[in-house]
Amino acid sequence: MADQTQVAAGHPPRFVDPLRRSIALTFGAAALLFVIGGMIQPGFLRPANIFSVLVVASFIGFVAAGQTLVILTAGIDLSVAWVINAGGVMLTSLAAGSDLNALWVVPVTLCMGLAVGLTNGLGIVFLGVPPVVMTLGMNGIMQGLVLGLTNGFTNTSAKAYAPKAVSQIVNGTLPGGIPIDLVLWALVAVALWVMLSRMAFGRWIYALGNNPVAAYLAGGSTRRITVAVYALAGAFSAFTGIILVGYAGQATLGAGDPYLFASIAAVVIGGTSILGGRGHYLGTIAGAIILTVLTDVLTLLSIPEAGRSVLYGLAILAALLIYGRQPEEV
Amino acid sequence: MSALALEREPLGERLRRYALRNASLVLSYLVLVAMVIYYVAYAAGHGQLSVFSVTSVFNNTMPLLIAAMGQTCVVLTGGIDLSVGSIVSLSNSLAAVYMQDSLRSVVEWSALILIIGSLAGATNGLLVAVGRIQPILVTLASLSVWAGAALFVLPQPGGTIPAGFTALLAGNAWGIVPASSIALLLLIVFWMAFRRTGLAVALYAVGNDERSARANGVPVVWAKIAAYALSGFFAALAGLYLSAVTTSGDATTGAIYTLTSIAAVVLGGVSLFGGRGSAAGSMAGAFVLTLIVNLLFFANINPLLQEFFQGLVLILAMAASVVVNLLLGRSS
Repeated sequence: MADQTQVAAGHPPRFVDPLRRSIALTFGAAALLFVIGGMIQPGFLRPANIFSVLVVASFIGFVAAGQTLVILTAGIDLSVAWVINAGGVMLTSLAAGSDLNALWVVPVTLCMGLAVGLTNGLGIVFLGVPPVVMTLGMNGIMQGLVLGLTNGFTNTSAKAYAPKAVSQIVNGTLPGGIPIDLVLWALVAVALWVMLSRMAFGRWIYALGNNPVAAYLAGGSTRRITVAVYALAGAFSAFTGIILVGYAGQATLGAGDPYLFASIAAVVIGGTSILGGRGHYLGTIAGAIILTVLTDVLTLLSIPEAGRSVLYGLAILAALLIYGRQPEEV
Repeated sequence: MSALALEREPLGERLRRYALRNASLVLSYLVLVAMVIYYVAYAAGHGQLSVFSVTSVFNNTMPLLIAAMGQTCVVLTGGIDLSVGSIVSLSNSLAAVYMQDSLRSVVEWSALILIIGSLAGATNGLLVAVGRIQPILVTLASLSVWAGAALFVLPQPGGTIPAGFTALLAGNAWGIVPASSIALLLLIVFWMAFRRTGLAVALYAVGNDERSARANGVPVVWAKIAAYALSGFFAALAGLYLSAVTTSGDATTGAIYTLTSIAAVVLGGVSLFGGRGSAAGSMAGAFVLTLIVNLLFFANINPLLQEFFQGLVLILAMAASVVVNLLLGRSS
C-alpha cells in the first residue's frame, strides 16, 4: 500500500521491505513513548523502571506470540482470555502451593492449553467451523468449565497461592537486575524468529496466510499446519496464565479478560496484517511494549481509567490509519 | 425456470426447496422449537409456567436480540462489529444517569441516546468504508473508546431508571401480555419492511460480492456506513432495553453483548462471510442462547456452567450446518 502511494506520486518504488519499516516504526514509537514518560517523571527511564514496564509488556507478548502465528495464517484466536484464566487456576489449585507439585502441574497445564488449541484447530479444519466461531465457542466452554469446577472461584483450592518456585522465577532477577521473565520473553522471541524466518514450518505459515489454495497445491499439509498453529496458541495462552499467576501470586476471576483485545492489538500495531500472510513476531513485541508504555504514560498523566480507555482506542485507530489501510480497490 | 413453473409447484416441494436453501436457518428454528417445547412442558409440569416466568424470558432475551439485529446488518456486509458491547454500556450508563421520571425526559433521552449510538456506529462505518481499515480492527479500537466514555459517564455502578420506563418496556400489557413480546413483534415488522428497502438489498449485495456490487452501481460506501450506523442504533436500543430490565446502570454491563451478539448471529445461520442470512435467524439465536440458561436451571445443572453450554451449542450448531451443507453438496 505504501509502495502504491509512492508510485502514484511519481517516485520510483524504493526497495524497503514495508514490514521491516513498520517494525522499525513501531519500535521507534515505543522508544518515543518511553522518552515522553521520562519527561513527565524523571525516574521513568531508570533501568529498574524500564524493566518493570517490560515485564508487564511481556504478558501481552506471551499471549500475542500465539496470536501472531494464528493471525499470520489468516485466522484469529478469541479463546485466549479463558485459556489464560484456566491455566492460572489450574496451576494454583493442582499445585496447592507446593513446589514439588509444580514440577508436574506446570507441564500438565501447558498440555491443557495445547489440547484446547488442538481442539480449536481440529474443529476449524475437520468440522469446517470458521475460526471466529470455533474459538469464541471454546472461550465460552473454558469459561464455563473454570467457573463450574471452581464453583465461581469460591473453592478454597482455587484461592491457593502460586507455588513459591513459580513466583520466584517470574519475579526473580539475574545478576545485573535483569528480570528472569524478560529472559523467558527473549527465548520466546528467538524461538519464534527461528520458526518464522528460518524453518520450513514458518514459511508454510506465511504461504497458508497468503493463499491457502496455493499453499495446498504447492504441497503444504495445510491442515496439519493450521492445527499446529492453534495448538501452539493454546499452549502460549496457558503459559501466560502460569506467568500471570506467578507474578500476582494468586489466580483471579477474569484475569485473562484484558488479554484478548490486547493480544490482537499488539499483533496489528506490530504491522501484522489481520488478513494473514504478512508480519512478524518482532513487530508484535514492539506492539506489546507500545500498549504497555502508553497505559503507563497515561497513568503518569493521572488520567482516570475512563480517559485511558478512550485514548488507548484512539491511539490504536491512529496507528491503523497510518499503516493499517487496505489498498483501494478499483 | 419460469415463475409459472414455480407457482405450479406443490406446497410440499416449495417448502422442501426453502428448507434446503436455508438449512442453517431451519436448523436454528428446529433447535429453538425443541427448547421452547421442553421449557413449556417442564415449567408447566412443575407449576412454574406463569405470566411472570414467560415475561422474564422475553425480558432477558430482548437486549441480546436487539443487539444481534444490529450485528446482523454488519455481518451481512461481510464485516463484524466488536463495539456493540461498549455502545450498550454507554447507552445504559447515560440512561441511568440522566433519564428523569417524566415523559419528556424519557422521550428526549431515549432519542438522544439512540442518536449517539447511531453516530458512534456511523463513525465505525466511515473508518471501514472510507478509511479502508479492517472492520475487526476499527471496532476493536472503538470498543475501547466507547467503554471509556461509558466509564466517564458512570464511574461507579448505580443510577436509577424511571419506573415508568421499566413498566413500558419490561412490564405486562393488560396484565398478561409481556411488553417485550409486543416490542418483538414491532422489531419483526420493522425487519420485514426493512428487507424490502434498497438499503437492505445493498447490504446483501455488498456482502455477496463487493466488486460486482460496485460495478452494478450499488453505493458500497454508503451501504457500509449505514450498516454500522444501524448496528450502533440497535446497540443503543439494546442498552435502553437492558436499562429498563435491570433498572440500574453499570458501565461494564454491556461487555458480554459483543461476543454473545456474534454468537446469536452465527447460531441464526447468518454467514460470517456476508451476504447470507436474516435477522429472523439471529432472533432465534438470541432466544436459544437465553433459553439455555433456563433449561440448565430446570435440569439442575450448575448455572455456572452456562457459558460452557452456550459455547458447546454454538460450535455444534455451526458444525451441524456445515455437515448439512456438505450433504446437500454445497460448500458453506
